[in-house]
Amino acid sequence: MTDAILEVRNLSTHFFTDDGEVKAVRDVSFSIAPGETVGIVGESGCGKSVTAMSVMGLVGRPGKVVGGEIMFRGRDLLKLSKEEFRNIRGRDIAMIFQDPLSSMNPVLRVGYQIDEAMYAHDKIPRDQVERRAIDLLAQVRVSDAARRIRQFPHQFSGGMRQRAMIAMGLSNKPDLLIADEPTTALDVTVQAQILELLRDLNEQTGAAIILITHNLGVVAGLCKRVLVMYAGEIVEEGTVEQIFESPQHPYTWSLLRSVPRIDARRGHRLLSIEGLPPDLIDLPQGCKFNPRCPFRVERCFNESPPIEQVAPAQYAACWVTMERAYAEMGAGDIIDTSPGAASGVHPAGRTLPAAEVPAALAEPVGD
Amino acid sequence: MTDTIVAPTAQVTPTVEPLLRVVNVVKHFGAGGGASVKAVDGVSFAIMPGETVGLVGESGCGKSTLGRLITQLIPVSSGEVYLDGVDITKLRGEKLRQQRKQLQMIFQDPYASLDPRMTVGDIIAEPLVNFAMIKGRAKDVRVQELLRTVGLNPYFNNRYPHEFSGGQRQRIGIARALALNPKLIICDEPVSALDVSIQAQIINLLEDLQREFELTYLFIAHDLSVVRHISNRVMVMYLGRICEIAPSEDLYTSQEHPYTRALLSSIPVPDPRIESKRRLVELSGEIPSPLNPPSGCRFHTRCPIAQVPGVCADVEPQLELKGDGHLAACHFSEQVRTKIAIVN
Ligand SMILES: Nc1ncnc2c1ncn2[C@@H]1O[C@H](COP(=O)(O)OP(=O)(O)OP(=O)(O)O)[C@@H](O)[C@H]1O
Ligand SMILES: Nc1ncnc2c1ncn2[C@@H]1O[C@H](COP(=O)(O)OP(=O)(O)OP(=O)(O)O)[C@@H](O)[C@H]1O
Ligand code: SF4
Ligand code: SF4
Ligand SMILES: [Mg+2]
Ligand SMILES: [Mg+2]
Repeated sequence: MTDAILEVRNLSTHFFTDDGEVKAVRDVSFSIAPGETVGIVGESGCGKSVTAMSVMGLVGRPGKVVGGEIMFRGRDLLKLSKEEFRNIRGRDIAMIFQDPLSSMNPVLRVGYQIDEAMYAHDKIPRDQVERRAIDLLAQVRVSDAARRIRQFPHQFSGGMRQRAMIAMGLSNKPDLLIADEPTTALDVTVQAQILELLRDLNEQTGAAIILITHNLGVVAGLCKRVLVMYAGEIVEEGTVEQIFESPQHPYTWSLLRSVPRIDARRGHRLLSIEGLPPDLIDLPQGCKFNPRCPFRVERCFNESPPIEQVAPAQYAACWVTMERAYAEMGAGDIIDTSPGAASGVHPAGRTLPAAEVPAALAEPVGD
Repeated sequence: MTDTIVAPTAQVTPTVEPLLRVVNVVKHFGAGGGASVKAVDGVSFAIMPGETVGLVGESGCGKSTLGRLITQLIPVSSGEVYLDGVDITKLRGEKLRQQRKQLQMIFQDPYASLDPRMTVGDIIAEPLVNFAMIKGRAKDVRVQELLRTVGLNPYFNNRYPHEFSGGQRQRIGIARALALNPKLIICDEPVSALDVSIQAQIINLLEDLQREFELTYLFIAHDLSVVRHISNRVMVMYLGRICEIAPSEDLYTSQEHPYTRALLSSIPVPDPRIESKRRLVELSGEIPSPLNPPSGCRFHTRCPIAQVPGVCADVEPQLELKGDGHLAACHFSEQVRTKIAIVN
């Protein structure tokens, strides 16, 4: 796709720590079309933020982008000078962070901070700046904006601070807005308002949005396309309907069945994902999900599955895929989700990592 | 027709006595200059043995405070808490200690709630030692049994909390809560700090333990989806008061309070088809301060169907029976579903 506004190719970002090399993001590729809304989901530590920080050029020591290209409007951001990068960041690409309090300066008035965000890029003449700050706050539905711009961040509620952050992000009319867990710290009623706001902004300004979250419901409401990350890799990609209705990667499938839904009947048991995500310093051989996967086959232990097309616009990295798991392993009826439960693959002679030992098998004490 | 109920137990079968009965409990925290935070401001409800009752509401509405009042971690300003018919707010010393054994709490933050300098075995054994029930070899056996019960390797008893993941630490907290064979466990946001994939492990564990040990739960969360999944009944709290109590199925299909309806409309469902139809009930304004709650109905400053000026700003609505076991505190509950749309 050449008309993509952002195209990330084979991005790898590692952290060089005393304990070893944390391979946080490995060989990640995706592209974003102008005006598109894309969600990145996955559990804590899977590399969502590091991916975003890499795109923003904000990975600091001990981290380093060790490979790949980040093409923004046809230019590789990784080849730009610091100065050129800074010009793009904040003007063409903006990012809003999870915790609005720690990313705002506590001793500066909110209005001043919005002004600063604009001054930095000189798109707007100085005399219009205050007017624009008020407009922006009003646009993100902070009431009484003319008075509010004179207040300090601690005088704002959590929801209002997040709105102010969004106002800053929007101050230069970016083409791409990266929102990293923008609602995680907020109450559901405030979360819903912020999401409506992002939806409106996308429709009104045409800014593309990358929404990073572990809340699948949030993605279903805002995004048209979804990337699913697991242990530093993209394991599945598809339209929002494909991901939610016919996920092909066992991880995506498990994730969807492990969350309680407000519209589900009571009494059904959640299908939990047993065990823990792998250690990114010492990754398992083969498919990184194999220590937790109920559908794994022998091949999964040795060979890492490439991401391949499984349907129009849908891609998954799995040797089995859910289509086969339903047809051959009765995925529709499984209750036991322990590793290898559906496929029956518990290789002889292989010692299971500690995290993989199902609770029921933890050896009893001889007393 | 609605009946004003006198005792909050009117909603349940009268033949079984409630395990817990909370009557008009109030907690005001001093906030300096004579002001006080009305964290819990007149709350009454009952929980039957073996039941799971969910408690939801926005941040700061008083959920944790209510949990701490029930477990007697903090004293009530006024009101009564009956456990098995005994008002534990009036007990002192040994009698209180004996009753407290029946009540345990699991906390939100599995990192902060475990002492980092103690081994897991000592953490779990602490209540056993404090209540001088068992020690030595018998204690070790019990600790290992508890570890196994919560799905951890019994040999982990000599390790320290930092060696465990969030989900495993929450299991340790649960093992400690189970140590004294309590009847009622107050779960204060036990899965909120956990990763999505780990949440299900803990929710399933809590459900299994309930069946095995006939536990009764008060399950606090801000995530209504989790609460609905695990609870028989759900209570919705707003600014120190309960505004609706209903069987979980009812709460989802028929809300009798505007706040509950707004809360439901805010919860995203992992289904793009449903999401495209869902309509948000936007609440105007910010959550009012518990230092100075609004007059009359405390939701009137944000309620989409409030009659202000008028009865909503003047008269505080009481919890009234609206259906089978379904209570709500709203003057206009019959208009909630007709006037507030949540689907397109
Ligand atoms: N400065 C750092 N030093 C070492 N490792 C790091 C550093 N920053 C991130 N990592 C590691 O990189 C991995 C990916 O982290 P990242 O913050 O991208 O996760 P995430 O998907 O955003 O998770 P969350 O949902 O918790 O925000 C993690 O395992 C993390 O431990
Ligand atoms: N020890 C205290 N002293 C003074 N005020 C307190 C104290 N504990 C709680 N409060 C106040 O009481 C109110 C209710 O707090 P509480 O912690 O019970 O809320 P919550 O519903 O549990 O919120 P959250 O969802 O954020 O955990 C808040 O306004 C809080 O600031
Ligand atoms: S089936 Fe194999 S390749 Fe597919 S997710 Fe499971 S372990 Fe990985
Ligand atoms: S009593 Fe009035 S203000 Fe309160 S919830 Fe009902 S309609 Fe709204
Ligand atoms: Mg992150
Ligand atoms: Mg709380």
